[in-house]
Amino acid sequence: MKAAIAVAIAVAIAAPSRVHADDDDDDSPVQAQRMRFAERGDSLVVTADLTRIFDSEAYEALDNGFPSTVVIRMWVYREGGAPVAAQLLSRRVVYDVWDEVYDVRLDGPGGRISKKVKFRAEALKLLTNLDGVPIARKSVIPYQDHFVLAIEAELNPISAETMAEVRRWLFQGTGSGLDRGGSLFGSFVSVFVNPQFAAADRVIRVQSQPFFRPRP
Amino acid sequence: MGKVCRFVVVAVLAAAALSRPARAQPDAEPLAPEPAAPQAPDQGPPPDQGPPLDPGPPPGPDPSLDPAVDPALDPADPAAFGPVMTIESIAITGNRSTAERVIRRALPIAVGDVVRASDPRLTQARWKVLALGFFREVKLELRRGTARGQVILVVTVLERGTVVLNRLWFGTSSTSSWWLGTDLEERNFAGTGIGVGAGFVYAPRNDVIGSRDQWAGEVRIADAVLGASRWGARAAFTVEHGSDPYRVAGDHSTSPDDFRAFSYRRLGGRAAATFSVTPLSRVVIGGRFEAVTAELPTGATRSLPDGQSLPVRFELRDGHSRIATVSLAFDRDTRPNPALPREGSHLALAAEAGASIIGGSYDYATIVARYDRWWPIRDRQAIALRLAGGVAAGDAPRFDRIYVGDVDRMVAPRALGLALTTGTSAAILGTAAGEVDTGNIGGAAIVEWSLQLFHRKHRIYGGDIFVGAGLWGLGDTRGSGVAGRTSWQALPIDVVADAGLRIDTEIGIFELSLANALGRVAQ
Repeated sequence: MKAAIAVAIAVAIAAPSRVHADDDDDDSPVQAQRMRFAERGDSLVVTADLTRIFDSEAYEALDNGFPSTVVIRMWVYREGGAPVAAQLLSRRVVYDVWDEVYDVRLDGPGGRISKKVKFRAEALKLLTNLDGVPIARKSVIPYQDHFVLAIEAELNPISAETMAEVRRWLFQGTGSGLDRGGSLFGSFVSVFVNPQFAAADRVIRVQSQPFFRPRP
Repeated sequence: MGKVCRFVVVAVLAAAALSRPARAQPDAEPLAPEPAAPQAPDQGPPPDQGPPLDPGPPPGPDPSLDPAVDPALDPADPAAFGPVMTIESIAITGNRSTAERVIRRALPIAVGDVVRASDPRLTQARWKVLALGFFREVKLELRRGTARGQVILVVTVLERGTVVLNRLWFGTSSTSSWWLGTDLEERNFAGTGIGVGAGFVYAPRNDVIGSRDQWAGEVRIADAVLGASRWGARAAFTVEHGSDPYRVAGDHSTSPDDFRAFSYRRLGGRAAATFSVTPLSRVVIGGRFEAVTAELPTGATRSLPDGQSLPVRFELRDGHSRIATVSLAFDRDTRPNPALPREGSHLALAAEAGASIIGGSYDYATIVARYDRWWPIRDRQAIALRLAGGVAAGDAPRFDRIYVGDVDRMVAPRALGLALTTGTSAAILGTAAGEVDTGNIGGAAIVEWSLQLFHRKHRIYGGDIFVGAGLWGLGDTRGSGVAGRTSWQALPIDVVADAGLRIDTEIGIFELSLANALGRVAQ
């Protein structure tokens, strides 16, 4: 009976939370985005715009003198199948407060490119525009088969180690010594003002429309 | 209408995109003709071997922060970019109660440091300040200094409440009508960065003969970082007015008639120095001194089911005695989210030795350890292995031995040292594990599965349900001497199962579990 009551309490708390989560979920649902695909040499390339990973606050922060980093992961999926190719891009920018230029560094399949631009909008474009980026070799994209491209972009991601360090204080208070059961062995309950820190400033996930290579 | 249908199909596909491949689409588009635009300068031809199938972890900020290594200033270093700057000054704003020095000592850079913009110390600076736990938000900005190449680091903080409710003790048992207590802590006392905490618990006299009103209190003070060093310090003072129950008859019963209680008083303090070996691990070196006064009954015996009578071991000196110990502990916690862990591990080891040569009445040693490890599996699930155990060797006093509530989740653990139940386990397997309430060796091994119910930014950040099962054991190597039992019945192990909900919210972290609930109600 007591067990049943405990389960009922747990379910009662969990149930409304799940329902509410549907309209306030932070798991960055995948959104459809139209992209342009083309063949270039031996490669399949994509052109897309990921500007919306920057909100106004992040855009303003490009001037703060600290580096901003955008990490872009891309997967080419065969419809109904597993990924056939993947790509990773890393793009960083830092504002030089003395020279008043944006120092941009782009790392991708073609290696590393460094550029300096005068305007913030230019820096934003370099960070977020995919302009003919190779995503797969043509040999893994057979004619007439249908594929989609999924992209996950993170703004200023932090490592799991850093996140662990930020949250460690939760479990390292002034330390109680008489409660072995509550410290070394037991469970943990704590009440405090608990601000949430995400593993990245912003994350977007998008998927392209289906595409195929027409037979020549 | 056709466009609407197409949009719906694409939207549905998008919702499943990163977790599984999309289904076949009749309206797939052919590739566009060769783009007329020239190839972007940052995108060369693909490598000969083609792109890897797993992009791997992001080449994000370097977590290493060894100040002895400064690759960011080396122009040949591939990670270095951006201007080289000298920190001319550091301006701190927004701190209404927190002292500036508390924030300055948390920053991995100081006035006069020469750094490149890509220096990981700059990237990490915000997180180092947030890791203090005193702020809701931290923003950093570099502004021009008085001379070319010099910059002013502006740190803007938004403070938050730092009072923490660490513990809430409450419940009832067959031998105690109720107990109630709490433990509060101010993590940033008067803005000094020093933590001050206190706890108090009370349980009225129960039906066990010899029992009395119990209460215990504790005050603590801790400075996690002394100056700009990796050392910290903490101290605590405790007082306890208790009565511990001991079994005189019966086997697994919880009837008050089968127990008696003896009174004791503990008065003492602890002090420790902490050293952060790495950002995620630390060593604690400490000492403890307690004065114990116990009123032990003479000639107390326990009647066993087989008719034998055994003298009761109280594991304390009658009258006045002292506990003096030194201790060494190590803690490493790599969980990115300790509230709702899904990956990482937590290791805690603690060894303590008491000796008469340092003023104690008891010569003994204890070692307790805990290791929890989580592995993420698909569909927001995780599996955890949770191990905990301890050994007490020598003449360990009663309070330093392994208590059944330490290892059996379904028995309430001691609260500030007070035993609030008779310490009788459910003895699901009918083995000997339930016959001892304190032992000199014990532990638990539990496998736990959890499922993320939701995760979001505001108010209730996340919730996991979990189900776990495993074994726990508690024994006294000196044995109880019960005759006529099978080997199975003599095994000091039993099963434990638990299920519940963990919630990470704006006002704290909560765990509602079946085993915890059972430990708080009369059995």
